[in-house]
Amino acid sequence: MNRVRNFKLILWMIIGLGAAVATARFMFGLGAVTNLSDRVPWGLWIGFDVMSGVALASGGFVLTATVYIFKLDRFHSIVRPAILTALLGYIAVAVGLLFDLGLPWNIWHMMIYWNLHSPLFEVGWCVMLYLTVLLLEFFPVPAEKYGFLSKIRGFLTKLRLPLVIAGIALSTLHQSSLGSLFLIMPYNVHPLWYSPIMPVTFFISAIGLGLMMVTFESLFTGWLYRREQEVDLLERLGAAARWVFLLYLAIRLGDLAVRDQLGHLSGGEWQVKMFWFELVIVAIIPTVLLFIRAVRRSAAGLMTVAITGVTGIVLNRINVGGLVHINRGETLYLPAWTEIVITLAVIAGAALVFLFMAERFKVWEIQPVDPDADPIKMPEFHPVDSSWLGKPEIVARTKYSLGFIIAAAVGFALLSGEPLESRGVDPVPAQQARGGDTLWIDGNLDGYGVEFLHVRHWYRSGSGESCVECHHMNLPLDRNSGCYHCHSDMYLPADAFRHDWHSSPTGGKLACHECHQKGVVRAVESAKKCDECHNDLIPSEASIEVEQYMAVSYADAMHHLCIDCHTKEAVPRENPDLPRCTTCHKGQRDIIDATVLDSDRRNLTGKRTLLPPIHQE
Amino acid sequence: MHAWIEFGSGPLFRLCFALMLLGLARIVVLTIIGMVEAYLRNDDKIINWRELIGKTVSWLFPIAKLLKKRPVYSLVSFLFHIGLILTPLFLAAHLLLWEKSIGFAWFAIPQSLADYLTLIVIVCGLTLFLMRALYGPARAISRKQDYIWPLLLVIPFLTGYMCVNGRISPATYQWMMLIHIFSGNLITVMIPFTKIAHCVLTPLSQLVTGIGWKFPRGAGDKVIETLGYKDRPTWVEQPRLGLEKVTTVEKEAAEK
Repeated sequence: MNRVRNFKLILWMIIGLGAAVATARFMFGLGAVTNLSDRVPWGLWIGFDVMSGVALASGGFVLTATVYIFKLDRFHSIVRPAILTALLGYIAVAVGLLFDLGLPWNIWHMMIYWNLHSPLFEVGWCVMLYLTVLLLEFFPVPAEKYGFLSKIRGFLTKLRLPLVIAGIALSTLHQSSLGSLFLIMPYNVHPLWYSPIMPVTFFISAIGLGLMMVTFESLFTGWLYRREQEVDLLERLGAAARWVFLLYLAIRLGDLAVRDQLGHLSGGEWQVKMFWFELVIVAIIPTVLLFIRAVRRSAAGLMTVAITGVTGIVLNRINVGGLVHINRGETLYLPAWTEIVITLAVIAGAALVFLFMAERFKVWEIQPVDPDADPIKMPEFHPVDSSWLGKPEIVARTKYSLGFIIAAAVGFALLSGEPLESRGVDPVPAQQARGGDTLWIDGNLDGYGVEFLHVRHWYRSGSGESCVECHHMNLPLDRNSGCYHCHSDMYLPADAFRHDWHSSPTGGKLACHECHQKGVVRAVESAKKCDECHNDLIPSEASIEVEQYMAVSYADAMHHLCIDCHTKEAVPRENPDLPRCTTCHKGQRDIIDATVLDSDRRNLTGKRTLLPPIHQE
Repeated sequence: MHAWIEFGSGPLFRLCFALMLLGLARIVVLTIIGMVEAYLRNDDKIINWRELIGKTVSWLFPIAKLLKKRPVYSLVSFLFHIGLILTPLFLAAHLLLWEKSIGFAWFAIPQSLADYLTLIVIVCGLTLFLMRALYGPARAISRKQDYIWPLLLVIPFLTGYMCVNGRISPATYQWMMLIHIFSGNLITVMIPFTKIAHCVLTPLSQLVTGIGWKFPRGAGDKVIETLGYKDRPTWVEQPRLGLEKVTTVEKEAAEK
């Protein structure tokens, strides 16, 4: 049991470290503990904790299908640990998600507010339902120990087959939907990974991963508790897994060939090397090794295969989840140590619960026994300080709590002593829309903009004086100032009034009391209103009422203005698609030589500047 | 040198302080768990709460009890505790550090009061050490940490006093400050793992004793009887029974 205790001590220490970081995360927000930003909003926590977590837990549905649907009863002894692993994996996913959500207390929103067009909505519901199914599937195991639960247990045992079927259906749905999530970003995901059949590859790799994870879990706990390894069973799992991996390999390469993307494989970019590395450890090494009988029959060989396979598919999820996204400017995302710690702590927590369950309940056929817990055994005094801490459980809680607090204290010490707060959003000056009658609206010039048919919009909103529908406020002596004048930052609210300019001797040359009354506290509320001096700022029929001098960000302004109007117009025009993203964001773009843009903009957009062709209507 | 001082008052202090808080919380939780386990195992489950709370409160002010037997010791010890707790927590210079790191601080005591308290701590600490070292019965029940603690506690006070009031060169000042900070950190981190944990365990100590005396039914009363304190109000002639379970256990034993 020494091995188990040392392992648990390490887990407790990781949780201690995680507790310190979690405190900072929930007190000071994501910015304080992650390297995430507006450009890289999804990082390790989504890529590993959620995407890989769901895939890692797929052993549950694979094995329940094997045993209860295909009636391969010889695998019965590893069904329970597989279900437990899946259950804990999904709980870990939910916990990991709570860390990553900016407003974690809104996690229930998807239950009430349905967005039927979002794959994430489907994933959320499926994960939630499958978690329930897993709970019901696993509940009979702990219930065995308590007589008063026998009725519920009997009922759930009768219900097993429907539960298993529901579990398989739900898993099929959301394992593949995690791939569908990325179908929406064909230009972000590197072409070696992006494919219209991503849902299929995700599902197949999840099956392979499930088999590998069951193998890993069985071998590792076998080593931990010095059990006899179930090599004969795992050999059969491995034999099945090799065909899954082979199929996966064929589909990945075949898909690239069909889509004419094989040319990418010869490139020297790091993504290409990453692709090869991933493919080798996901599929090639496991497949080759699993076809060798001697490897399948040795615990060490199976462990090697399991570790390479699991690492490879996890890497695949992290890659698709964010690492190999291209064209995101100059920001390179590498997870902060705090992100890694939280990830490890969530896994450690799940592992501890697994060991707890395995020791208390009949998860395995033979329950592990702690030899030190024998009541007849004489106490052994510590050889160094000749102390005796007590019975095993007392020793355990003494040591684990000590490990926990030491790790937590180290975590607190390592967290920055500077006031912890998010770096916030970098200022990105909004750029003028380019073009004539067809405007290319792309405030940060990243190539993802909107082609705005200026004349057509004016005409459709009633022509004549309908300019004021959008041009709700202008610079003095102007009638059609651009949005970017006031909404001057892409993501941050901007000062549309420019107090400094008005009060400076080189600008407005105004003294304080020309706007602020004498004897009154100087504040926005007590100052003169704009229209007391400028009577032409706001057109008389302006659709938007300006309430304060801070203008919302460029992105917010554009989205509010366009979407509000499109939503309103969708009904009379009988076009429900009018307010959807793709109505305006068509994703068109063309590459223009970077030298035509001045250096500022080049710095802003990175080396590759992408702009669409500008049509004249 | 400056970097070491910054390290000592920054990350190292955070480490030590967090360890102290978590360690104290841990020792309280472990003690309570142990007490609950002992209580469940006890034969005699009757706890005289009134007496326990009364004893705990009265031991918070040991002067009344100890003045009768060892007036000098109790007075010195009491003063020592006051200076020990008040000075580090309410010294203006420390509060500045708190404000710098966590953004807020509380009221400070006047510098002159802090100076007097510091001197009191130094004198009392040395006195306590000498009393323990020179008084035979005390020496007989002392462990190593009992000698080390009074001296260790004096070090940051001595160096702190020299830094504030001493006429010393800047180099000496930095050395003094370094010793001050590192010894302070050492004390902070050792609190939950040594006898200084009594700062949070005091409220529980009487309860622990109260429970521990009752492993076999009526053991406490028997000890009291043996010691000849029959006049105490808690003593009863017949051992008390807490639960019916005890009798069933006895029956089973008898049947066997």
